[in-house]
This record gives sequence, structure tokens and C-alpha cells, in this order.
Amino acid sequence: MPQQAQPTPTPPKKKKVRVPRVVNGVETTVEIEVDDIAGPGWGPNDKHRLLTHRLTRVDGPLKATGSAHYTYDVRLPGMLYGRILRCPHAHARIKTFDSTKAATMPGVKAIIQARLTEFRFAGSPVAAVAATTPELAQDAARAILVEYEVLPHVVRAQDAIKPESPEVLPRNDAKPNERNLRLAQKNGDAQKVEAALAGCDAIVDAEYYTPRIHHACLETHGMVVDYSGGKSATIYATTQGTFTIPDDAAKELGLSTSDVTATVQHMGGGFGSKFGIGIEGMLACRLSKEARAPVKLMLTRSDEFLMAGNRSGSWQKIKAGVKSDGTLAALQAMQYRLGGVGQGSQAGQPYAVYRAGESYREVYALQTNEDSSVAMRAPGHPQASFAMESLLDELAYKIGMDPVLFRKKNMRDEVYHRQLDRGAREINWARRNLKAGAGAGPRKRGMGCGAGTWGGGGNNQCKVDVTVGRDGSVLVAVGTQDLGTGTRTFTRAIVAEELGLQMNDVVEKIGSSKLGGANSSGGSTTAASLSPSVKDAAIKTRFALAEKLAPLLGNAKPEEIAFAAGNVSAGGKSLSWKQACASLPSAGITAHGEWRQDLQGRGVHGVCFAEVEVDVETGQVRPIKMVQVQDGGLPLNRLTMESQLNGGMIQSLGMALWEGRVMDRDLGVQLNPGFGDYKLPGALEMPEFVPIIDDDDKREVVIGIAEACIIPSLGALANAVFNACGVRVRELPITPDKILMGLMKERRTA
Amino acid sequence: MSDEPKKKSSNYDPSRRKFLKGVGVAGAGAALADSLLTHDTSAANSDIDAAGAPVSGSVNIALNVNGQRRNATVEPRTTLLNTLRNHLEPGVTGPKLVCDMGTCGACTVMMDGKPVYSCLVLAVDAVGKKLTTVEGLGTPENMNGVQKAFVEYDALMCGFCTPGFVTTISAYLKKNANPTLAEVREACRGNFCRCGTYPRVFEAALAAAKAGGS
Repeated sequence: MPQQAQPTPTPPKKKKVRVPRVVNGVETTVEIEVDDIAGPGWGPNDKHRLLTHRLTRVDGPLKATGSAHYTYDVRLPGMLYGRILRCPHAHARIKTFDSTKAATMPGVKAIIQARLTEFRFAGSPVAAVAATTPELAQDAARAILVEYEVLPHVVRAQDAIKPESPEVLPRNDAKPNERNLRLAQKNGDAQKVEAALAGCDAIVDAEYYTPRIHHACLETHGMVVDYSGGKSATIYATTQGTFTIPDDAAKELGLSTSDVTATVQHMGGGFGSKFGIGIEGMLACRLSKEARAPVKLMLTRSDEFLMAGNRSGSWQKIKAGVKSDGTLAALQAMQYRLGGVGQGSQAGQPYAVYRAGESYREVYALQTNEDSSVAMRAPGHPQASFAMESLLDELAYKIGMDPVLFRKKNMRDEVYHRQLDRGAREINWARRNLKAGAGAGPRKRGMGCGAGTWGGGGNNQCKVDVTVGRDGSVLVAVGTQDLGTGTRTFTRAIVAEELGLQMNDVVEKIGSSKLGGANSSGGSTTAASLSPSVKDAAIKTRFALAEKLAPLLGNAKPEEIAFAAGNVSAGGKSLSWKQACASLPSAGITAHGEWRQDLQGRGVHGVCFAEVEVDVETGQVRPIKMVQVQDGGLPLNRLTMESQLNGGMIQSLGMALWEGRVMDRDLGVQLNPGFGDYKLPGALEMPEFVPIIDDDDKREVVIGIAEACIIPSLGALANAVFNACGVRVRELPITPDKILMGLMKERRTA
Repeated sequence: MSDEPKKKSSNYDPSRRKFLKGVGVAGAGAALADSLLTHDTSAANSDIDAAGAPVSGSVNIALNVNGQRRNATVEPRTTLLNTLRNHLEPGVTGPKLVCDMGTCGACTVMMDGKPVYSCLVLAVDAVGKKLTTVEGLGTPENMNGVQKAFVEYDALMCGFCTPGFVTTISAYLKKNANPTLAEVREACRGNFCRCGTYPRVFEAALAAAKAGGS
């Protein structure tokens, strides 16, 4: 074909913007340069043909029939199975390591030792084995003989803070009485807060505690390393970041990054815990390299509890005061982040939704001999929100003010007012007890509320290609991953809508590091990063097609050519999609899309209302109803967004009422590393859920909501428990023993 | 009646090794009738008849999976779940390995129509039984009623628990074609979801029942 001379386009003007970027699951911001252009936007939120509607997910049939292939399902010829040997002690050093017997066992192909020789939490990986079946690998791991020198440990925050506590991590700079503390933040003026507190009409001084929570991804961490020597490798990974894999794996395998392909077609849950190859991935790479065979190393369920990370716990001491008109005038907070050997995470007080006159806070990481916390859905926010919402409730009751009105008075943003009104209507807030515990009978009902926020927003990492074939096929390709959030579905919908096609007319290809770049799915940044690039590619595809088809449509101007209902038309002439595409060059056409800042936004608001029933004879809490009102700019897919809101409510229900890592103080080991002992939310406990998308948010931009909807419900549930029975439980989870102890204390003081 | 369990023979040995061997042989007994089980004479460690020898040998079995006869070489201790996923060629990977100890339901399959946790069934004990996995209930192009409802009501997110729920509910609707919400919850009590799909799983189950079951 003769090459046509292309006119040199004028380079677009550039501008600098700050965007969120997720590093190891933690959201930070970076400054980037983007083209200063604005093309066609999304248009009004209520004028879409596919987007904002209830789109069933495109991979639904695969998942519902067991045909979706996860990393755990990968089986390659000659593949070996890996198993990890973990340290049983909270703190120990290896004295002797003997794998000679294990190495001679049937089916064993490789044994490697972890690079560390001192272990600082029970469950730390010591060695790994690859064998021909999972059972034989397990046998061999058990047959490795390790002798440890057991060292002093500390696993409880209350013990770790004491001056005489064993030291979790060695350091030189610590004052002797702060050996396990790391100062993270100090904000505000302590003296001003003291002065403001002195002028308050009511004060609450309380301690709030949340335990460490497990992600409990149903597909455990792990990967299949397809490497048999040679110059290239493929990694099948269960990950939230397709592009976080090749670099890490290449280092372990001694290859260059471009020789390693990461693939993630479906993944069974991450919730913030799956970025990079992790320790298990490093071990899998080393086993594969040693055995010169593909190795699948998936953590066992107990491995997953002991070494795959967790949500950091929190210990917060807060003193706050209000004026009798309901103005929160002063707040001081001492916040400890309980992240094991890691740093933990916790949003600062006062929680970002509220103003607090004068405030002062100190935030510390308080370390223990436990597996490091990692990011988990809205890192640090549910913990901070639980304390703040509980505190606000205590203050509201103290001055006899409606908790909803009290919140409105102290919120930074009026968007919450309409959301609180909507939620209050939905749960029928007027039915609540005006006096806590006033309900009749042993089973008492109560209501509570809370509010949350999240930044979200996108960044410019997504590179999308749309290819239209001569046969009418449409392919949208980008390396991103779908965590079950519906990424595939909205990607397809954006292109189909732009080209006037149906969902089934477009195919998407994702989940490979050999496709266009994409960001990691963390910090609710996926939709806001990906959808603008997809939209940009789709718009460019439409214009490229329009230019090609103009001669067939009376030389209409490209912008006058309509793409609708499977037809391409202009000036009274119309072509079916197939006819139109038949006129394309044999290779079809491809358009490339880049991120556009104007198509996405930042900052969401949400509130939760909860109703519970507390049995004051048994202490049992039964959730009755939960309502979540959430904005998010343009809701790309109403059906999947509602599912996410449900998911947020259910996960926080678990944190509020049932979940928590339980440690044995003397042995330093976790007592509940399995689903039999770690209580996940189950079918029998589910209340009625009402997920409400706040359509009064008219922003025509995409913003992620995954984190936001897990934040406000902890406070809402704890406050509902108080409203029901008059017991304020400040330590999660709200288990029957705490209710009964509270009731007993109340009877004693009465 | 004595509180002592009745000993089947005088050389009763309660050790785990003998127990496993016993299970293997019991499974073999049922299977031999259908001539579905043969000792793997080619395997080096197939001496499971030798008295006191460790039961680390392997046996050839055939399973009836989704209407097909499927052969596998397994150890007596190999679970049905592990056999389906790792020992059949090609593997049947719809049932998921999540807890491997009977707490989560992701590995649920139907054994003679009854939902069982396949991580708690030894493969040798599944010989001669009619096994149905989620793949046997429908295909993406031809889904059963429960699968259709799961897609329509968005009763799945990451999808890792989905095969277990679909199988559990499909089996339950055969038993109770017109369940209440409370009955659906009860039927699902042995299945965990982490993404939080429960409310829509219940909706899907009720809708599938209304539309005529699985």
C-alpha cells in the first residue's frame, strides 16, 4: 500500500498535575505531566446508553460455570508443587538446618532455605520444597530438621509499649522507654487544645482498640513460575498488579524484565494484600530455578493467615470536647498503629470528614513480633473512623443531641447532609431509641450512623489499544487486571457505547504484562485510571473510522457521522457496522488511548446507617439492616457498583462483630489461623442490605469507590449496639462477652 | 453394652497408618466390584498390601466425573478435590481449594446428588459414586438456572467461591424447589464468600427457584 504523507500534528500543550499512585498498596501522590487537551467528555450521567445501567458482568458465565481459570488452576506439563516450612516461634534464630533426609524423599526435586536466619514472627518462612505432588512436598517440608535458639518475643501492644519489653526490631536511636515505638506524625498545638478543652461543656476521654484483621482472600497468595532454564519465563500470578510482577521475578530468576511475562486472567481476591511477587513468589522463583521445572507455590490457608499480611490494628486514646450547641471544639489523640514488625497504617484524628476546632495528635507505630501488616481496603481508615464515629456518638449522647444533627454540625462538606437525610429516611431513623437501651424485652433494637471519605482518582499509567477488524470485530486491549470489581465489563461497555454497538460486539483482552501498561489496583484508582484511557482510545477509534468512512457517506465531516444502533450514518446515508468495517484496510484500524485528567475526579462521600438487635441475656448482636449511601461521580456500572457497596458493608460487619487475630501471649503464636476459628461473615448472619448510589452527585467524572464503602459502617454498627442496649463497646470485635461485661458494669453502678 | 468400640479383628491397630490403609482397602472393596480400581503395579511404592509397610504407594482408580469415566493414579490419602484438580488429565478445576479442611465450601461437588466438601472425601472413597462438579451443571453457552441467575443478579465478584455456591444451591433446589429466604440462607451456611456477595447469592437462588429450579 502506498504510504500517505501524514501531516505533523502540533504537539499538545503540557500541564502538571498531582495524581495518586499506589506503591505496595499504599496510596501516595506524585506530580505528572499530561497533555492539556480536553476532547469530548462523558456527557451527563443520566444520558448514557450502556454506562450507568445495570450491566451483567462479561466474565459472569465463565465464573458461574467453573470455566474461569485462576492462578490456582494452572497446571503445566512437568509442573512441581511448592510447600513452605515456617518458623514455629515468634522470635528465633536457626542453630542447625538439615534437609538431607527430606532431599531423598520420593518426588522431591528442590529444597531451598530462606535467606534470613533470624525470624521475628511465628510463621516466617524458613525453607521451601518442590515435589511432584502437593502431598509429597508437604511430607518433605515436615521432614526438614531445624533446631532453633528461641529468643524473647512480645505480641501484645500493651506489653510492647512497656520499657522492659523485648525489642522487636533492633535499633540504635531509641530511647530506652520507647524501644518498640516509632513516631510517625505529630500535628497541631497541644497547649491550644488544652485551653480549648477547658472551655468545653462536655468532654469524652476514651480508648478505642481494633484488632488485626485478615484479608482472607479465598485464593491464597502464590504463583506458578513457568521457567525451565533458558532465557524467558512466564509467571501466572494472583495479583492486583500485573505490572508489579515481571521486575521482581526477573531479579530472582536472573533474567531481564522484558523476558518475563506476567499473566493474571482471574484472581480470587486481594483487598490490598497482593502486590509484587512477595516472599512466596521469591521462593517459587528460586525453586523453579533450582529444579529447572515449572513450580506452583500457593500458600496453604494457615500460611495465608500467618505470613500473607493483615490489616493493622489500632489503639487510640482520644480526648475531645464540645460546646452545648454541638460544636466540636477540641480533640487530642494518641494513636498507635499496630502493624507487627511493619509500620502499620492509620488515618489521623480528627478523621477527615469532621472539623474539630483545635486538634493535636501523635501517631506512633507500635511494633510486635507478628507478621507485618500490609495495605487492606482503605488502609488505616476504618480504624480511625470507628474511633471518631464512636467518640462523636458519645459526645452527642452527652449533650442530648440527635447524632445525625450533631454530625451535620461538624462536617466539613455539605454533601454529607443530603446523604445523611437519605440514609435516615431509608432506615427510618425516627424509630431509634431516644434513650439508649430503652427498648422493651430481652432482644433490644438500636440504630447508629457513620460517615466516610476517600480520595481515589486516577493516574496516567494506562495505555489502551482498540482495534477494529475488517470483519467488524472490535478488540480493546490493555494489561490491567480484574479483581472481581467489573473492570472487564466497563472496559467493554465504554467502547461499545462510543461505537454505537452492543456489549457482545466488543471483546476485551486484559491481564498480561505484554499488553499496554496499566496501574496496580490499589487505593480505588483502577476505574479512574483505566476508564479515561479506554474512553480516549474509543473516541479516537470513532474519529479514525469516521475519516475512513466519510467518502462512503457523502463526504460528511467526521464529527457529523453518527455511530448508533449498530449503524454508521450521515446525511441520510447509512451503513451497517459490518458494511462499514468491510471498507477498512486489511489490517483494520487501531487507535491508542492515553489517560485524560478531565475524565476522572477525586474525592467521594458516603454514609452508613445500621440497625442491630442485641440480646441482653446472651450478649449476642444480630445485624438487622444496613444502608450505605455513596457517591462516586459517574457510576460506570450500577449493578457492579452496588455489589461493591454490599461488599464494603459485609467486610466491615465482619470487622465490627466477629473478626480479629487472636495471639497467645506466652507462645507468641496466632491461635486462630484458619476459617474454623477466625470468624468470617457467613450466610446466616447477613442482615438486609440497601446499597444506594447517590445520583445527586452530578460530577461527570469517574472516581473509585471500593475503599470508601468499607469505612463508615464500623462506627454505625458500634453506635447501633449502644443505642440498642446502652453498652459502649470501644474494643472491636463486639463479641457477647463485651456486651455482658458492659451490662454487668452498668447494673453495678446503677 | 460395652463403651469400648467393637474391634473387628484381634489384631486391631488404631494407628493412623493402618487407618489410612484400611480406608484405602475399604474404598478398593467398593471399587473392585465395578473393576474400577486396580493396583498400580508399575509404581515403585505400590506395596500397600505388605503388612506394616507405610501407605505411601499409589493406586489407579477411575472416577465417574460429570458423566465421564476418568482415570487417575493417587495415593490412598489423596483427597477427591486434589484428584479432580491435580490428578485427572485434564484437571477439573471448577471446585476450588480454599481451606482444605472442610470449613469454606468452595470445593463443593455433588456425590450421588448430595453436596459434599471434596476436600474431606478421599478419592478412593469416591470410586463408584456419581460425581458432579460445577462444570457438569452447565457451560458458559448453556448455563443451568442457578448459573444464569448468578450472572443476572451479580451474585459473584472475584468468583472464587462461586462454583461452591452454585453447586450447593443447585443440589438444594433439587431437594426443595420452592425455598424461603431463610431456607436458602440455611442451605448456604457451609459456604464462605469474602467479597460480600451473600445478598445477591440469596436473590439469585430464589430467582432460580422461581424460574424452575436448577
